[in-house]
Amino acid sequence: MFVQIKDLTFRYKNSQKPLFENLSLSFKQGEVSVILGESGSGKSTLLRLIAGLEVPSKGSILIDQAVMNDTFRFVQPEKRGVGLVFQDYALFPHMTVEKNIKFGLTKMNRKQKQARMEELLTIVGMEDYASRYPYELSGGQQQRVALARAMAPNPSLIMFDEPFSNLDSKLQLQIRDELQEILKRTGITSIFVTHDEEDARAIGDRIILMNNGKIQDEGRPEMVLQKSKEKLSLAYV
Amino acid sequence: MYYIRKMRSQFNSWALLSVIFSILILLPALLIMVQLFAESNENWEHIKEYMLKNYIVNSVTLVSFTGLFTVLIGVSAAWLVSAYKVPMHRFFKWGLILPLAIPPYIGAYTYHGILNYTGVIQTSLRNQFGIKVDQKFFDIMNIPGAVFIFTMFLYPYVYIITKSFLENQSSSLIENARLLGKGSFMTFIQVVLPVSRAAIVGGVSLVILEVFNDYGVVKYFGIQTFSTAIFQAWFGMGDIYSAIKLAGTLMFIVVLILILEKVIRGRKQYSYSTSKVRPLQPKELKGWKKFAVLSFFLSLFALAFAIPFIQLLHWVYMTYDVILSAAFADLIWNSVFVAAVGSLLIIMVALIIANFSRLSKGWTGKFFSKITVLGYSIPGAVIAIGVLTLFLFLDQKVISLYEWLGLEPTLVLSLSISMLIFAYVVRFLAVGFNSIESGFDKVGTVFTEASRTLGMSVTKTFFKVDIKMIKGAIAGGFILVFVDILKELPLTLILQPFNFYTLATKTFQYASDERIHEASVSSMVIICISALSIFFLHRVLEKEPK
Repeated sequence: MFVQIKDLTFRYKNSQKPLFENLSLSFKQGEVSVILGESGSGKSTLLRLIAGLEVPSKGSILIDQAVMNDTFRFVQPEKRGVGLVFQDYALFPHMTVEKNIKFGLTKMNRKQKQARMEELLTIVGMEDYASRYPYELSGGQQQRVALARAMAPNPSLIMFDEPFSNLDSKLQLQIRDELQEILKRTGITSIFVTHDEEDARAIGDRIILMNNGKIQDEGRPEMVLQKSKEKLSLAYV
Repeated sequence: MYYIRKMRSQFNSWALLSVIFSILILLPALLIMVQLFAESNENWEHIKEYMLKNYIVNSVTLVSFTGLFTVLIGVSAAWLVSAYKVPMHRFFKWGLILPLAIPPYIGAYTYHGILNYTGVIQTSLRNQFGIKVDQKFFDIMNIPGAVFIFTMFLYPYVYIITKSFLENQSSSLIENARLLGKGSFMTFIQVVLPVSRAAIVGGVSLVILEVFNDYGVVKYFGIQTFSTAIFQAWFGMGDIYSAIKLAGTLMFIVVLILILEKVIRGRKQYSYSTSKVRPLQPKELKGWKKFAVLSFFLSLFALAFAIPFIQLLHWVYMTYDVILSAAFADLIWNSVFVAAVGSLLIIMVALIIANFSRLSKGWTGKFFSKITVLGYSIPGAVIAIGVLTLFLFLDQKVISLYEWLGLEPTLVLSLSISMLIFAYVVRFLAVGFNSIESGFDKVGTVFTEASRTLGMSVTKTFFKVDIKMIKGAIAGGFILVFVDILKELPLTLILQPFNFYTLATKTFQYASDERIHEASVSSMVIICISALSIFFLHRVLEKEPK
């Protein structure tokens, strides 16, 4: 297993009840997993915990067999080698596309940085936009730059927090297909978070259905979605 | 285990520096509190027995009446400016803030100069019209006079906060009241006043703190208050213990008032959680109403800014050739130097504490951000006494170190300019901190998080991302602190090194020596720099899209 989460417990500081209690979950290498759930179900928080942006109160997280946190250790987000594409992209507004993508390339010399940046722009099809600022780009273009930026340092795992929610529906389909293509080509392990069943079905190798901080079901997309539909219709009956 | 790990995840140089700075800032206040309960001496017994009651009565009278009048004037001006349109509307909107550029002590001696026997009014009456007036109608060197001065030059605090609240938060409520058939006056009484209570209380508590902080006005007018008593104890009797006791008592009163403020404000913040608020559209006024509002604005602007400003301008014209010299250049250099160094330090400390406070989740961060605000609530003279105690204590340590090393023992720290600058940092940290904190609030933490998942540490992120995204807030904070230090009087008077004067303290010295014409040039420099910063902050920044 590439990512292993064991007995994870987490509570937000201003809430009484823990969001996760003894949550265990794992992700396979090279797999595209989708965490599907309503807003407030805890799916984004799970991403933040894996990325190291939140500190769990109990449990452990391993990535590629390295302990990210357990009872004694806590690896800072910058040392985890995990890429995260934020819901509203979080492109640095004071930097050009080029600077944004080069931002995470700390261990390379100038030539290598330039080459890597150009490579990624080609992958996302934005070769002509290197000198633009984020506010000069459309939503779809920003999305692609955010993906390029997250992939640039060659993370072993890349995660997406509601990546399509800010795009109009036509663009959504196009970007989704492109993204799927890129992920398949690079073979990178990835985790998506979404509330949209269609997105989950289209992009995921596996779906994890989450509700109120608990995993309700997981498995191949058709199976999970079929079961949840049956449950729903049963509830109607 | 969890807490240890959590602490470890948050413990870094940011936390360490924040703790160190916070302790340094707390120290002067703590020293005063500790000494408040120390054994008393003869002087203090005397003060307590015969004078303390007088200080309390005078201070409380000044504070109450100034509070009342600033609310009346500040709130009505804010309401009229935001709800109605009169000629020169755009000018009055920020022009009514301008009196804030005139420190009350400058306003005090200017008005005295206008009204006294040799002043422009009485001279004109005598010479042009042959009228001799009863002096008692023209004497403002008393408590009502001081209330007038404080009200004129401090009402903008209430005005600014209430105005921005009314403009940004209340449009739907006010429009609804109008639709429900309420006239302007009833809308004001039944809707505007209650909903803006929190804003008004916020503004008037700033006014109250300023009045407690004041030394220049009351000293010049010969009114005995806590500030003058602290000066008397320290400079008059050389009695640091009584000064500390007085400072402690005053601090105690201020804390009581701050608690009262929290209670009055309570949970009634009345602010909308949505960001989609429509600004209030001002209504065009016609007929006598237009005339009435216009004359209110005009007379307020005249009394609180134009008249003293023009008078000072005249005095500047009379004296500039005597005053403008190498010595005056030194004065400007001193002022700019301490203000620049102080502001720079404050911005650095504020950045460190604010960044730590926003990134650490839980109570620790909040705790540190509260500490920074402390200094702004405590009157300058009190902070000065606290800082003085601290530095005298440190000097004793240094002296024993010098003796041990076989060197000539001297007072190193308590005679140096570093003591003054340290006190500025304690007093004005809140001003810089608030500006930077609101800058951070606006950008949120998402960019920081993005940077960290891209492999940058907290510190690298701070320099490459955070600091660049809040440039405007940093500049704004710097300007505000700079102007505050430039105007500062009581603290500087107590802590300035021997033969070291700033524009503010020189102004005050001239005025105390009844050389008010000579005081005008340095006053003018202070006023012009303050006015420029007000213009910049309220006019230029307001135009920027938020």
